[in-house]
Amino acid sequence: MSNRTSIKVALEIVGTVLMVVGALLIGAVLVVLSENNPIEAYQAMIAGAFGSKQKIAEVVVKLIPILIMSLGVSIAFKAQLWNIGAGGQFLMGSIVSVAIALYVPVPIWLRIPLSFAAAIVVGAGWAALAGWLKARFSANEVITTLMLNYIAHYLLLYLINGPMQDPYSDLSQTDVIPDGMRLTKLLGPTFRLHSGLFIMIAVVVLMIFFWRTTLGYRIDLTGQGEKVATYSGINVNRTVILTMGLSGGLIGLAGWIEIFGIQFRLLDGIAGGLGNTATIVALLGSLNVYGVIAAAIFFSALLCGGASMKRMTDVPYSVVDVIQGLIIIFVIAKNVVWDRCDPMKLFSKKKGYSQHAE
Amino acid sequence: MASLAVKMRGITKVFNGVNANDHVDFDLRKGSIHGLLGENGAGKTTLMNVLYGLYQPEEGTIAINGRTAEISSPTKAIALGIGMVHQHFMLARPLTVVENVMLSRKSRRGIFLDTKETARELRELSDRYRMGIDPYSKIWQLSVGEQQRVEILSAIYLGAEILILDEPTAVLTPQETEIFFDTLREMRDDGKSIILITHKLEEILSIVDEVTVLRLGKLIGAKAVDETITKDDLTRMMVGREVLFHFPPLTRDPGDIRFRLDGISAMNDKGLVALKDFSLELREGEIVGLAGVDGNGQKELCEVMTGLRPSVAGKMTLDGEDVTNHEPAFYIQKRISHIPEDRHATGLALNWSLKNNLILKSFARPPINRNHLVQTKKVEENWLQAEKDYQILAIDGDEQVRCLSGGNQQKVILARELNCEPSVLIANQPTRGLDVGAAEYVRTRIINARNRGCACFVVSADLEEILQLSDRIAVIYGGRLMGILPRGSDPLEIGALMMGKGLEEKLEERELEQQNIH
Amino acid sequence: MLSEILSIGFLTSLLAGTIRLATPILMPALGQIYTQRAGILNLGVEGTMLMASIIGFATVASGGGLWMGFLVGILAGAIFSLLMAWLSVTLRVNQVIAGIGMNVLATGLAAYVYRLLFGIRALPAKITSFQAVDLPGLSDIPCIGTVFFQHNVLVYLAFALVPFTWFVLEKTMFGLKIKMVGEHPRAADSKGISVTWIRYAAIVIGGAYAGAGGVFMTIAYLNMFTESVIGGFGYIAVSVVIFGRFDPYKAMSGALLFGFASALQVRLQALGSGIPSQLLLMLPYLMTIAALIFASKKAEFPSAYAIPYSRMER
Repeated sequence: MSNRTSIKVALEIVGTVLMVVGALLIGAVLVVLSENNPIEAYQAMIAGAFGSKQKIAEVVVKLIPILIMSLGVSIAFKAQLWNIGAGGQFLMGSIVSVAIALYVPVPIWLRIPLSFAAAIVVGAGWAALAGWLKARFSANEVITTLMLNYIAHYLLLYLINGPMQDPYSDLSQTDVIPDGMRLTKLLGPTFRLHSGLFIMIAVVVLMIFFWRTTLGYRIDLTGQGEKVATYSGINVNRTVILTMGLSGGLIGLAGWIEIFGIQFRLLDGIAGGLGNTATIVALLGSLNVYGVIAAAIFFSALLCGGASMKRMTDVPYSVVDVIQGLIIIFVIAKNVVWDRCDPMKLFSKKKGYSQHAE
Repeated sequence: MASLAVKMRGITKVFNGVNANDHVDFDLRKGSIHGLLGENGAGKTTLMNVLYGLYQPEEGTIAINGRTAEISSPTKAIALGIGMVHQHFMLARPLTVVENVMLSRKSRRGIFLDTKETARELRELSDRYRMGIDPYSKIWQLSVGEQQRVEILSAIYLGAEILILDEPTAVLTPQETEIFFDTLREMRDDGKSIILITHKLEEILSIVDEVTVLRLGKLIGAKAVDETITKDDLTRMMVGREVLFHFPPLTRDPGDIRFRLDGISAMNDKGLVALKDFSLELREGEIVGLAGVDGNGQKELCEVMTGLRPSVAGKMTLDGEDVTNHEPAFYIQKRISHIPEDRHATGLALNWSLKNNLILKSFARPPINRNHLVQTKKVEENWLQAEKDYQILAIDGDEQVRCLSGGNQQKVILARELNCEPSVLIANQPTRGLDVGAAEYVRTRIINARNRGCACFVVSADLEEILQLSDRIAVIYGGRLMGILPRGSDPLEIGALMMGKGLEEKLEERELEQQNIH
Repeated sequence: MLSEILSIGFLTSLLAGTIRLATPILMPALGQIYTQRAGILNLGVEGTMLMASIIGFATVASGGGLWMGFLVGILAGAIFSLLMAWLSVTLRVNQVIAGIGMNVLATGLAAYVYRLLFGIRALPAKITSFQAVDLPGLSDIPCIGTVFFQHNVLVYLAFALVPFTWFVLEKTMFGLKIKMVGEHPRAADSKGISVTWIRYAAIVIGGAYAGAGGVFMTIAYLNMFTESVIGGFGYIAVSVVIFGRFDPYKAMSGALLFGFASALQVRLQALGSGIPSQLLLMLPYLMTIAALIFASKKAEFPSAYAIPYSRMER
């Protein structure tokens, strides 16, 4: 990495951190408005995220789906495909995982890989559907992926109130998957941390190499514009569908991990706000693998801490949601302001190479 | 001394720390046609945008008709009687002529539109200058020449006494230019003052009363145009040195036919026929130039030849092999290089680094690609080689190609397209928007490629360029091949073909032929 | 079953429901015609509607009166959309991301405001909403009266906005400027029109219309606020604009189509049709996708659609 590049990266990080701090400060104001002490609130948040071994383990539990989903979202975003349907793709992955785990009449050891593969395929298919609609009909993927979220959500509601409802319960949920299929608990039965962690690590390693592969280049180039990509010999429509599929595949995988590691059954609300969070994390991390890792850790802590803050204090949890929203807006605004006044200029030695308007 | 319509003093305009105009003075006499001459990047358009209120100068004063004026916006400029016709027309294509005109001034009916009155007045004005414009036609239905007339009509309708025309003849054939100049003379005799921004010397000599020359944002001089002034004088003022307009003649005979188009037809983006029954042969070691007014099917032709657009009829062969309607990747594999017309959106990934732009077409192939991984070392080597061979001015190759000047960007494209030893080179407007030095460099490179045996196809709307480069000159009009002329043909003859002369006879001939067949 | 569906009573209530449910899509869609014609894709409509729905509702709940609540809702929509204007026009950020950001922010803010003002409660806060106006003579006409003349006043207002919006876009200087800015911002600039100003205006007007649609949900359609009260109507409105090819009358037919789907879903559920309610609830969302499939390629988008304008760049 050249000197210039490292300065640029450093500046990027400083800016992002500043923005996050700004969002947290505004969050503090909201805490004050709700007649609470912001210092106590943030203390409760930090304690809730890092206060004990148990709490740190919970942050990691949260990190697993968030990081995998954010990396999935970032693949699509890199190609300028605004897949905001992570929630729906996650649900579809979860649904098919449970369906196979519960109903497919094959030995248990076979159901695990079967459901694993199926979750990836179905998540990929759900996203690729939006990709195909874009390639074939120019349908805006933001709207289609979002509509597919609603559809997946209602499908879930239908299944847990109908065909897949636990026959021995009145609750809107499915039966749990057999014990023998669940992911191993890594730190004993009192901790929820499970072996899905290793899958996450594998995904991260894969993604570090991904943007150096020819496929990664192809996806990146597609995001640079349809014209230049076509000119360079890329079949844009095919790449759009493939990219969406890869993106949704990872997200579907996160659904499988959540089911086999944490939830063990389908019920309403298993996706939580994971879809939105993944979108924000991808943007906050500038679609860069390391950036996304840092952002995902931050957000897992924020969400765990926020939930703990809600229990310990009177502060409404929605403050955490507001902070999430502020972070996105600040970060996109920062990217522009940073580009505009170009702090790099301070460091560039060669003058006069740049373009000037006539 | 006649009174001055415009008097600009000490105008300075800075962009990103670069002086686009550096203490420039400019005088326009009332009732004259004044040429503003300079290369691309000399600051002509910037100066005129300052006069028109689009840019605010950092320094300097402007006086209109002897009175000091603060021109803070185009609205102010229009109120002062200044009209501007931009190089790229400022017309919204889905709207009508009258709608486009109404936008420039207050409506007589307050917040509501006064369409009917405006249309009537426009029609009267159009009749007076014999422009033949229907106020209710939509802009997209009009030809380029008509659109230009709409712009001029609109400026005059808004009361322009001072008319700024930015490269108005770039879109016209020599014959259309003559008619256009007649209209300008008529307007001058009506007492209007006209500024003609141009880099074409012939125009200066044939119509202009006075000329002001800019170079690199600075005023070089202003002169009255009379018999004593020569093209060489102007060139020296404009470029600051002698420019070679001569290129070495053909040193080798063209070889075999490499690329053959046989009766190619294609549609444009709107689904209308853009290319009709077009046939052409490109030979090894030969430059074929394609002359024609912009928008007559050149872009579609280049796209068909590189797989970016399907042909609906006809056949293409490369070294005898049928290569009709494949995917773009196929043509890249066959080493057909393409310098596209639109550098920014098509030829480069602007946000990518220089290094990566050089491997845009080759990252998926060895040696750059090994085991599905892009080899950074090879990318680096490739960049260092290109930087040296093509004298690309850059920091370290990691910067975005967006930051480079137009000339440097074109060098990146040249490096990429010529480094793969192309068998065919398709260059669409390869020097558009470049300054004289960079343009010269590009042309030399194309000639070198030809001398190495590449079959070159150069599309240009600049007739001078076509004449300099081409071993054979093909002319396109309305998507049809009008004829193929040898090196050294008469520009007027080419111009006539560019306007579609002989199309009627050709069609009749064809009909006869077909009758004879039956 | 079939005979029940074909009964006059069912049909009239279905059509009346169609008109009522078209309203909260029609209002934001009409507003987005201004915005999109000016070349801005504002996906933040969803969040804008949500903000307006809570703030307007809170105004009414605190005794401000229904009309006051409606006006405050419109104002809230206009103000919240200023954020989109600042991001997309002044900062020129990617409009899709800006819209997503606005919606995430609004989700949090709306919940926060509700919690702040109404605290934690077992039952949602309720108000008395706009009631159907009785038009003597008209409302009593059998069938036709039920379908067309038993709505609350905001429904009529929404439909009155259709010709109004058309008139503004086709017959006024302002409308012409909006179209010019969306088609060719540089030309508009060179003719002395402030691209920034017109785009801000178009976005804020769109926000005001969206605000009206949002507050309609809490004070005229329902009488309470929930976090999912908008439920994708903002996104649906954006697709209705594309489906309606940026024309107010065509957008109205689009909105009616969605109103029909929603009303049909509600009626079929009430009837106990045997189709699971959750599957019926998918209907409007499936239709949105269908509408995009049908319309996206044919719609002639403004040339500068979703492209920021800068005078300095070419």
